[in-house]
Amino acid sequence: MDIGPYVLQLFSGLSRAMVLFLLSAGLSLIFGVMNILNFAHATLWLLSGYLTFSIFTFLSEQLGASPWLLLPAIVGATALMALIGFALERFLIRRTYERDLPEQLLLTFALVLIIGDLIKLVWGVENRRINLGVQPVEMFDTLINPYHFVIVGSGVAVAAGLWFFLHRTRLGKIVRAAVYNRNMVSALGIPIPLIYGLVFAAGVGLAGLAGGVFLPLLPMALGVDHDVIVQCFAVVVIGGFGSMLGTFVASIIVGVVYAFSILFWPDGALAMIFLIVIVVLIWRPWGLFGTELRF
Amino acid sequence: MQPGWLARHGLTVPVAILMLVLFLLVPLLPGEYWTQVATEILILGLFAMSFNLLYGYMGQISFGHAAFFGVGAYASAMLFTRLKTAGGEIGMLDFFLSLAAGPPVAAVAALIVGFFCVRLTGIYFAMLSLAFGELLFYIVFSWYSFTKGDDGIQGLLPPSFFQDAVNFYYLTLAIVTLALLAMWRITESPFGYIMRTLRDNQRRAAFLGINVRLHMLINFVIAGGFAGLAGALWGPFSRSVNPGLLGWQESGIAVFMTLIGGAGSIVGPMLGSVIYTMLQAVVKMYTVYWPLTIGTIILLIVLFLPGGVLGLVEKRLKARRDGDAGNREA
Amino acid sequence: MSAILEVTNLHKHFGGIHVTRHVNFSMQPGEQSAIIGPNGAGKSTFMNLLTGYHRSDSGKVVFEGRDITNQAPHRIARLGISRAFQVSSIFAKMSVAENVRSAVHAQMRRSFSIFGAASRIGGGETGRVLALCGLDAKRDLVAGELAQGDKKRLELAIALAGKPRLLFLDEPTAGMSIEEARGTMELVDRLNRELGLTVLFTEHDMGIVFNHARKLTLMHRGEIVVQGTPEEVRANETAQNVYLGERHV
Repeated sequence: MDIGPYVLQLFSGLSRAMVLFLLSAGLSLIFGVMNILNFAHATLWLLSGYLTFSIFTFLSEQLGASPWLLLPAIVGATALMALIGFALERFLIRRTYERDLPEQLLLTFALVLIIGDLIKLVWGVENRRINLGVQPVEMFDTLINPYHFVIVGSGVAVAAGLWFFLHRTRLGKIVRAAVYNRNMVSALGIPIPLIYGLVFAAGVGLAGLAGGVFLPLLPMALGVDHDVIVQCFAVVVIGGFGSMLGTFVASIIVGVVYAFSILFWPDGALAMIFLIVIVVLIWRPWGLFGTELRF
Repeated sequence: MQPGWLARHGLTVPVAILMLVLFLLVPLLPGEYWTQVATEILILGLFAMSFNLLYGYMGQISFGHAAFFGVGAYASAMLFTRLKTAGGEIGMLDFFLSLAAGPPVAAVAALIVGFFCVRLTGIYFAMLSLAFGELLFYIVFSWYSFTKGDDGIQGLLPPSFFQDAVNFYYLTLAIVTLALLAMWRITESPFGYIMRTLRDNQRRAAFLGINVRLHMLINFVIAGGFAGLAGALWGPFSRSVNPGLLGWQESGIAVFMTLIGGAGSIVGPMLGSVIYTMLQAVVKMYTVYWPLTIGTIILLIVLFLPGGVLGLVEKRLKARRDGDAGNREA
Repeated sequence: MSAILEVTNLHKHFGGIHVTRHVNFSMQPGEQSAIIGPNGAGKSTFMNLLTGYHRSDSGKVVFEGRDITNQAPHRIARLGISRAFQVSSIFAKMSVAENVRSAVHAQMRRSFSIFGAASRIGGGETGRVLALCGLDAKRDLVAGELAQGDKKRLELAIALAGKPRLLFLDEPTAGMSIEEARGTMELVDRLNRELGLTVLFTEHDMGIVFNHARKLTLMHRGEIVVQGTPEEVRANETAQNVYLGERHV
């Protein structure tokens, strides 16, 4: 049996999973701590892709073309996105804390439209893509883009970094405590508004990182965010809101299921994903690793 | 001590009558353009009102409501395609038969989806409804042999009498008005009051002896049926149906309209449809950045005007009435 | 005369914490009694178990000869048991009259009627309950904007609209002024006397308890420690020990 296509799909699925993880981790963190479901998360990811492209192109023009320029481009875009996230929280999101859920959802929904069009305004309608000029490597009877390894590597690195931050640093423990009981954290004298701002900025920063990392793999195009955000929701629901481990595992599930569904039922790959979401919500609404408390 | 009657029927009846009169007069405008726009307003307004049965009256936000709009559209379109002649024409009776197919099929879909969704509330309800909506979208999108997938179903030409824009418009107006009256009866019935209790305090309602899930399911099916009616009208109006009618962006339209007009009244969403559709028509004449425009408007409404236009008007009237009462007492 | 409520060996634990320990309890029709105990004694949990809000781990609850153990709250409510919550749990966006009217509709089994006009159904009963609870003048106010004391009264009105035969009140006078508290408890007395309504309430205020309960049950750490008339309980040494440092009985 020719395992070539399967191996290809596995790698494709894993790297897709890692991008999904990077993106959904921010979403899950924001919801876990702040109870805000950021509809605009994928749109911010898209914005970051375009930003990364522009920085990369600018640097390439100044310093000569080199795939390594991607690194500072990604770093720059991520930092910029974190700043944007901080500003969004400070001036917009903050005003909806006292409101009902539907109004919070609608605010971030509106941001999808606004930011999406702003991207169009600044960058126009063409796709953006970076060609790193890296040669595919032959493995398991098939050609694999080695960039997949970079993605998987960065995904794992970020996962490890997040875990370390949340479980081993003081700030991280405060953030985790806020997931369970923000009143208590506030009562301990820790400024919740600042924590919220940092968490939102970090979440958006992660989305930014995901955007930059994704750029060499597939083109960034207007409207991609609409498809991706529902996949992020799927990941966060399956894994459980607020759980990083859940997000990681669910990302792998979604990424791999999607990749293999492409082989057998191309149009229905996403239908498979939503079927899983439905099953999870019916059987265990708080997700595989979410805490029942939150529900 | 202010009587709360204004918050009840107060504005609904005058606004509804005003809108009805204006709607009746639309075809007097020159050309077909405004008649077509008004038809679209009515159909999408019906869709938005059906959404509001779940949102304003029951307190749950569904991001998959367009699935029932789309199912109704497709059920109607498929029967239409079966019943029309080889030449592409359809008889009057067959036409109405195809329209009638929309609501029941949508209601059945709502029964199945609702059975699961009413077990949850809040964000989980929103997520599950979204997931079902997307699932239905992808099923329609990928089942080419049954639904023609991305191609959609074309050639939904009404009988010649209704090919005239004005005639079709008045048919739509009649159907939508009847539907609105029916929805109004339902929201002002004991069942409607129970919906409001479910919105305000589900736990307490249970302790009153209310089987919460069953009541939510019934409302969900009713809302789905009315969405299906709107969908059934959409097919012959735009002469085609496509899978996009089921997606979450389409669901978003209902949400926007409800928010703009005001979720607190049965006519709010229709008013929202008027504002939204006309705004869209005007803005698109000048710029391609419609999403930016509507996004900004929604943002501003959420932040500063959560009750929508009707909510604002009610508040102003109430404030003036309070002022008068204060002056009278002085 | 058989008991209206018979609780046998009711037990509940959350994780490792046993909040209700093998409780046996009964009430006769027409009884008006109170459950007292220090904070955390398990009074509210006990009421939650009886009304279906929590699932018990073991034990039986029998109402009017019918086993209602672990039934859903809405089923228990339909059998004739009503409860009022400690923190008033009302329908904030509806008017006072609509709050009561909805409860009346539920009691009339008209909650599925989609074609009647709600404002014309159950008006008589709604008016009666509103008058009984002194909310008549405020019937058109929006419930969420009421003062605390009025919210508690509305809480009671909603519970009464269900025409219960057994009424549970969780701290009915909490947050009320002395005037209001007296008025509320006098109403409860009247309902008990004239309608034969069986009432069980929890309270912290000993003055209320002694003036309005004919039987007391003292709970501590999920168990019933002492039962009897107020005088008996007051004189009881164990009761005094439980309250030592908490309150002067």
